[in-house]
Amino acid sequence: MTATLPPAAPVPTARWLLEPQVGLCACAPSGRRRKGTYVTRTIDAAAGVVRAALFAEDAAAQPGLLQRLDARVKLVTLLGLLVAVSLVQQIPVLVVAYAATLVLAVLSKLPLGAFVRRVWLAIPLFTGIVVLPATLNLITKGHVVVPLGSWFGHRVGMTAPGLTGAARIVLRVATSVSVAVLLTTTTRWTRLLAALRALLVPRMFVLVLGVAYRYLFHLLGSVTDMYEARRARTVGAEDGRSGRAFVAASAGALFGKSHQLAEEVHQAMVARGYVGDARTLSAFRLRALDVAWIAVAVVAAGALVGLDRGL
Amino acid sequence: MHIPDGYLSPATCAGLGAGMVPAWWAAGRRVRRVVTSRSVPLLALGSAFCFVVMMFNVPVPNGTTAHAAGGVLVAILLGPWAAVIAVSTALLIQALFFGDGGVLAYGANCFNLALVMPMVGYGTYRLAAGRSALTSRRRAVAAGVGGYVGINAGALCVAIELGLQPTLFHDAQGAPLYAPFHLSQTIPAVLGAHLLVAGVVELALTVGVLGYLQRANQPVLRLNPAHARLRHRPAAVDAEPEPASGQGARGGAAGPVRPGRGGGTGWRWALIGLAVMVLLTPLGLLAPGTAFGESSPRQLDLAAYHLDAVPHGLQRYAGFWHGALFDGYGFAGARHPTVAYLVSALVGTLVIGGVVLGLSALVGPRQRRRHGDAAGHPDDAADVDLRAAAGRVQDSGHPGGAPDVDLRAAADRVENSAHDAPAEAPDRDAAAAVPA
Repeated sequence: MTATLPPAAPVPTARWLLEPQVGLCACAPSGRRRKGTYVTRTIDAAAGVVRAALFAEDAAAQPGLLQRLDARVKLVTLLGLLVAVSLVQQIPVLVVAYAATLVLAVLSKLPLGAFVRRVWLAIPLFTGIVVLPATLNLITKGHVVVPLGSWFGHRVGMTAPGLTGAARIVLRVATSVSVAVLLTTTTRWTRLLAALRALLVPRMFVLVLGVAYRYLFHLLGSVTDMYEARRARTVGAEDGRSGRAFVAASAGALFGKSHQLAEEVHQAMVARGYVGDARTLSAFRLRALDVAWIAVAVVAAGALVGLDRGL
Repeated sequence: MHIPDGYLSPATCAGLGAGMVPAWWAAGRRVRRVVTSRSVPLLALGSAFCFVVMMFNVPVPNGTTAHAAGGVLVAILLGPWAAVIAVSTALLIQALFFGDGGVLAYGANCFNLALVMPMVGYGTYRLAAGRSALTSRRRAVAAGVGGYVGINAGALCVAIELGLQPTLFHDAQGAPLYAPFHLSQTIPAVLGAHLLVAGVVELALTVGVLGYLQRANQPVLRLNPAHARLRHRPAAVDAEPEPASGQGARGGAAGPVRPGRGGGTGWRWALIGLAVMVLLTPLGLLAPGTAFGESSPRQLDLAAYHLDAVPHGLQRYAGFWHGALFDGYGFAGARHPTVAYLVSALVGTLVIGGVVLGLSALVGPRQRRRHGDAAGHPDDAADVDLRAAAGRVQDSGHPGGAPDVDLRAAADRVENSAHDAPAEAPDRDAAAAVPA
């Protein structure tokens, strides 16, 4: 294309077009690598929330075991299992409990790879890094089983109680997060709200929760719009000061928007007969599967704690 | 700052969750009394806002970004009790719908982020802002200071909760059952990060948002009942003669009147904060060891510091003062250490408070005289009111917004300004219920 053009007087290219810009692209030959500016990170975070919500909606629509259960039953039994897991102290029992969550995920037709990734990338991996120093004899006293050398004349190494404690907390966190993810991904949020109502959470609180969840995505859309627009009109790198000013202004504008939306929602509610009291449709029915599941959950929780004490 | 499940023992979770129940109950009552039927959408959007603000990445020097928590910001915008509910709701959405933050640890997270952080931060903000005008720079900076103090108070609670776990819950071999780090490690680690980075980010965001709203959207700032009162400042000052306290007489007619009711709430918050800290002092008993031979040079573990002998200066000055009333914060014979700590804390606080009061009695009158000469007070207030009015006009004429809502809100405001206590005006909702 350029070859066919008649030779013209060379037009000097603007300097700023030739300069490698840190903010534009991570691949620019600038010698510094960034993971993205605050703009892209905020957009990514907003997209991440929507992605998680969509993943949960898809998973909740699958014809699996946990999806078929009554939301009240599921909420109470999984909370009970969480308590049981938090009481367990023996590592083999925790391994069994974690394996059980994987079985439940398979029975609920969740994509196993995505499930494991979501659980482990969220917290347990981070927990493992955080508790690593606690395995040293500087923090947890005990018999050194993995000597790591000496530091200022002291022997430093990983102790047996330290390693046990670290393995225990990582496994417990992984199992707890798995149970929570099982609950959130196999239940539609409307059913979860109704289940909360059935658990004697005050009606007003459930109503606030429902409206908040509904308009959360609206506000996320506003944030994405603002930050996309910012990205579209930003050329080159931005200094921190103007970036912070923009973040503060966008948060302030977002609050203005959410207040205006609250006024509109209130008027819409009043127009539909809202007088300050909430009513919910409750069409819960216990079926044989629910009763069987309650029995399984009680036995499982008892077995976990009993096995733990017995070992 | 969210604590996931598995870090805290079930007993800790249950205790903190039970502690949150009265807070939620009180918050529900307060909020319903102040905003009645409007409360549901306002709180819902407030908590959605809170959720979203927690995702904002704030650029910090060195090219990285950090998150803000926003609890204090919501407390300043909606009032502290509304913030308790809004932040709790945001945390519940994170825990239940997105599996972020613990389900069992929900009560603990609420205690740190939805109760301690907004309350301490808001108290600091009210103390620092005093009765300054709604649009003053001081108010924005006070909000930032509140954010900084609030997030650090929350972080301190997190550190204490995590640090107590290995002391209270471990197996026979001493292996920790839950979080493994001790208080002496969690407090520096968690608090250091928050004092240096997260607190500064919180400060920057809170100052920025308040500054933006002061410039661009003042009506929204008046959502907080405490801010709505500020509008009446000139009238309120006239209407509050306060003959009983004698402060009005001292302030004079022309000079700035010393804080009356607002100052009273500030004192109350300060006293509550001090009382909480006094009650927490026995936590120091849990810390193992002493700080570099604090109580006696002989207790110094010389080998740990690669020393051959106790340093000469330390030896010489160690026994310099023997007249301590509570030696080592304890009674003679080291009986009842917890009670001794509480008594020491109380006595120390009273002594320091007395010294500060004495100094301020010496310095105060001179400063007040100097400020009284400036006498910019009435003009100042009028200026603020004009600016507020301009802000309101600008807002209702905003092309992007839904005009009828703004007009209605403006009408509400005009109506409210006829009342002395706008927050409790009963016909506010009646006006909103009439179809447009």
